[in-house]
Amino acid sequence: MKITYTDVLVVGGGLAGLRAATGVKERGHDCILLTLVPPKRSHSAAAQGGMQASLGNSIKGEGDNEDVHFEDTVKGSDWGCDQKVARIFTNTAPKAIRQLAQWGVPWTRVRRGDREVVINAKKVTITEKDEAHGLINARDFGGTKKWRTCYTSDGTGHSMLFAMDNKAHEDKIEVRERMEAMAIIHENGRCYGAVARNLMTGELVAYIAKSTIIATGGYGRIYKVSTNAVICQGMGQAIALETGVATLGNMEAIQFHPTAIVPVGILTTEGCRGDGGLLTDVDGYRFMPDYEPEKKELASRDVVSRRMVEHMRKGKGVKSRYGDHLWLDITILGREHIEKNLREVKEICESFLGIDPAVDPIPVRPTQHYSMGGIRTDYRGESQTMKGLFSCGEAACWDMHGFNRLGGNSVAETVVSGMLVAEYVSDYCESKDSDIDLHISVIESFLNKEKEKLNFLIKPKEKAEDAYELRAKMEDIMMDDVGIFRNGEDLQKAVTELEELLVRSKNIVVKCKTLTANPELFNAYRTQRMLKLALCVALGALQRTESRGAHSREDYPERNDKDFLNRTITTWKNENDTLPTISYEEINIDEMELPPGFRGYGKDMTITNPKSEKRQNEVDKIKEKLEDEGKDRFEIQEALMPFRDMLPDVYQGKNERLYEKFTKDVK
Amino acid sequence: MSNEKGRILKISVLKYNPQVKEDKPKIVTYELEEAPGMTLFIALNEIRQHQDNSLKFDFVCRAGICGSCSMLINGKPGLACRALTSKMDADITLAPLPVFELIGDLSVFTGKWMSGMNDRLETWIHEKEEEEKACSCDTIEETMDPDLSDEIYELDRCIECGCCVAGCGTIVMRENFVGAVGLNKIARYAIDPRDKREDADYYDLIGDEDGIFGCMSLMGCEDVCPKDLPLQSKIAYMRRKMVAMKDK
Amino acid sequence: MEVVQTRVDEVESKFGVKKSRTPAKLDYLQSATGLMLALFMWAHMILVSSILFGKDTMYEVSKLMEGKPFFGESYPILVTFTAILLATIFITHAAIAIRKFPGSFKQYTLYRAHMKRMKHSDTNLWFYQIFTGFVMFFLGSIHLFIIMTNSADIGPYASSDRIVSEWMAPLYLLLLLAVEFHGSIGLYRLSIKWGWFDGKDPKANRKKLKKFKWAITAFFMTLGLLSLAAYIKIGLEHKANYGEKYIPTSEIQGVIK
Repeated sequence: MKITYTDVLVVGGGLAGLRAATGVKERGHDCILLTLVPPKRSHSAAAQGGMQASLGNSIKGEGDNEDVHFEDTVKGSDWGCDQKVARIFTNTAPKAIRQLAQWGVPWTRVRRGDREVVINAKKVTITEKDEAHGLINARDFGGTKKWRTCYTSDGTGHSMLFAMDNKAHEDKIEVRERMEAMAIIHENGRCYGAVARNLMTGELVAYIAKSTIIATGGYGRIYKVSTNAVICQGMGQAIALETGVATLGNMEAIQFHPTAIVPVGILTTEGCRGDGGLLTDVDGYRFMPDYEPEKKELASRDVVSRRMVEHMRKGKGVKSRYGDHLWLDITILGREHIEKNLREVKEICESFLGIDPAVDPIPVRPTQHYSMGGIRTDYRGESQTMKGLFSCGEAACWDMHGFNRLGGNSVAETVVSGMLVAEYVSDYCESKDSDIDLHISVIESFLNKEKEKLNFLIKPKEKAEDAYELRAKMEDIMMDDVGIFRNGEDLQKAVTELEELLVRSKNIVVKCKTLTANPELFNAYRTQRMLKLALCVALGALQRTESRGAHSREDYPERNDKDFLNRTITTWKNENDTLPTISYEEINIDEMELPPGFRGYGKDMTITNPKSEKRQNEVDKIKEKLEDEGKDRFEIQEALMPFRDMLPDVYQGKNERLYEKFTKDVK
Repeated sequence: MSNEKGRILKISVLKYNPQVKEDKPKIVTYELEEAPGMTLFIALNEIRQHQDNSLKFDFVCRAGICGSCSMLINGKPGLACRALTSKMDADITLAPLPVFELIGDLSVFTGKWMSGMNDRLETWIHEKEEEEKACSCDTIEETMDPDLSDEIYELDRCIECGCCVAGCGTIVMRENFVGAVGLNKIARYAIDPRDKREDADYYDLIGDEDGIFGCMSLMGCEDVCPKDLPLQSKIAYMRRKMVAMKDK
Repeated sequence: MEVVQTRVDEVESKFGVKKSRTPAKLDYLQSATGLMLALFMWAHMILVSSILFGKDTMYEVSKLMEGKPFFGESYPILVTFTAILLATIFITHAAIAIRKFPGSFKQYTLYRAHMKRMKHSDTNLWFYQIFTGFVMFFLGSIHLFIIMTNSADIGPYASSDRIVSEWMAPLYLLLLLAVEFHGSIGLYRLSIKWGWFDGKDPKANRKKLKKFKWAITAFFMTLGLLSLAAYIKIGLEHKANYGEKYIPTSEIQGVIK
């Protein structure tokens, strides 16, 4: 029996995991990071477009601040997010980006003087200020009032991840590559670490830690076509779910990105549209202004994706052997811009489509992209039901995204939540609560259980099932019945079929019998777990009889604030259950800084909650009064929804901007 | 068109699992029908799903971004996810990257090598110690010339896929050589004003025959780099810099 | 925490002893000597090829090398000195460059296997360079020694006799091949190594350089082969009078007058 002890166990080596690990290490806690792949190969690297932070350096970002970013984020979430978390996030994002600049990210910088950009299909000249020269630049992204998305060409995630991993090397973080967390070790509602499996040798190791941080990213691979890396299989959420204690939140909130290439589903960044690219149909007609006259191609992702599907359903899609698609036309941006700022896009077009995006339009279709749902945590990143279990990044439902995430807010979330959770985890590790009082037999029983499960998988069975086949079926069901537009009938069918698959998956037999490096073996147990996640998504979607953000029910097109202004909470109560247990967590309108309102897309179809209006009146009154008293925006905000005390001390400062400087006394 | 039969591809793979004692390296050939737009990512997954469940290979992003899937494709290092079969003969041979530790079949432990390289060359921004603590993230960031940040990004685009290492005749013979990936990193930090290291510090890291002076300008790195990094000119840059360095 | 494994002799800089600057110097010296030798070989080839313009031209050139136009008298010792100087550069270059040779049979086979896999021209070129370099250790040394010790015997007949009657033709042929390949590959590699012609687009310029390299090889090889043929022809015709020195036409005419 191999047991390793540490203070903090981080599972997942992407941006969130690395940032959390360096954070706790710098606070003096021992830390081990487990990862399936070398950290620099994590899916964070694929984030091309940028990271939102309200620096306001570019002329088109002038006047930006945390308040505007907060408002965009809340509206983007269709009021599904936790507004306090959104506040914590928008306050910390500028700090995170500035810190990353110090750590070596070569952010694209503002150049003084005139610059030609494409806005609404027209070439426009904008003039950058002298004093902004050399500061971090930003581009336009969907669903934002200001140009706020900071970037490095179109390799933002890559350069951030590399800088972060380099920092982890500097801090001598112990990274254990090709290690998969198989089960969370827990007793009496307290997490003590995880059982992990070495994917090269097959060895099982128990890592015992005061606190465990799950930062394993999303679960997009339960869909057949996804922009996600093949490792984004949701194993972090799955092992949390399998504890029967920890809960998952909003699992049905799945984002579809408007522009993934057809057929392989590789993403072309939102930066394409942010920089001025257009969506056109079979006739070469630009259709988005017809649907969304104001934001056009730069409406929120969920909106654009739905509009695209709608348009294709009208027969305006381009027919191909892989089904209908539309065009993303970036030729208007010119070769120079494409080769410099959208280089990754160009490489992808050349390598996978054999086209030159400076000349040809790109075939695109909305494709599964992001998991808003995940391990439900409080603002500190700790599970609401399991002590010592933390989560951050896409793996978590920290809940700043609600039912739809804004482009550029995900890489921002990874580092921001990583740095914040690191502080909260450190506080926890320094408190009495984190003492470990665990009998070794408990550890042993968890290890043995995993060993038995693996042995059972390779054991011959009477009705042998093939994991690849079950997984393919699951992927198809999710694509066909739990997609962009959902309805009760299809969802019910999906739930029934997935449940059957889950039952069948108990009889999976792995043909290649080695317990060392064995891709068939890990596919087998991951398939079993992915089926559970798929059921959480499908059942959650079935029971949420409204449309909110990315969750869009054709049979319930209204956003129902009366009955569904809440978070879906999912647990897997009993190991032998074939369906998850769903409950709901109310979102309290009375505490909102920004009470529910119309998001501004299409027709207002909200079933309003009477509390919304009441709260809105309250908010208006407070604002008016304080404004009259000459209070600044921070004081007004504090009166509406205090959150500063929730921030770790180190991140309480106010963010300076070219047009907003503060004297030293602020804390 | 969709009924058209594709070519029959013959994919030969060097199979070997060093974890299993009695296993011997062998070439196994798989046949499968080519589909439109097929890449080695698609082909290998199909083989694993239908023909050989035990076949080991690594893909992560499958979009040419993460650098996991580098292997020898007809003898040359390259990213398998981006290799369109339509651009190749029907007979394709695949082998794991040399130099790196073999995990099994086409899967190699590039991560361990790269991590070691990062530690060895200290590939991170070295701030002056007193500054590090004083830095505040609340104030406006330091400016940087827009062209310089572009230039740094150009070198920062390396994905550590290991192709340059596998394509380097020097490393093949002398395994302690840092390789183009390492030299490019040093060049990247050398032009970055945020890194306070001086030439002499870089010399300590690469000023020997395991470093810059080991490079024999074989240009395998330059010619196989899937990201088209300017390795040739940056290695030359570092060489000039290290030779011209004057001791204070 | 894992123990960081370090060998004290490898981290001298960390305890105040500066890391040796010798590798930098050696690297520079290897390139510098290589460059000198390559440029000398160009000049040498052009001088030698003067035979193609007739025996008189070659005679004049040989006298030029012995300093006659400057001092009025021939001083073959000048050639000896040049040869000694070159031998020094040659040996230095060889001594430094030998560091790069495969150091064991294992390294040799690894490289050969790498070549076979990669089918990459620059990788192959290096091997030819190593091979030709190895050849020159011997052939070059012999040649240099002979010139050093027989510096007076350079002329249309003397040289041709050496080639034919003294059986040097095969050696010179091999040496010619070795020098031309080694030198032009070396110059190409030097340009890449130091980035002399990188310009705005190093990739494109490297392609051009490589074409240029082949052109240079072809030019000097042709020149060399033709010259060698000319010497062989003269040598054969002069076989009966082996040992007799050439008298330039002008002097013969002077005697007749």
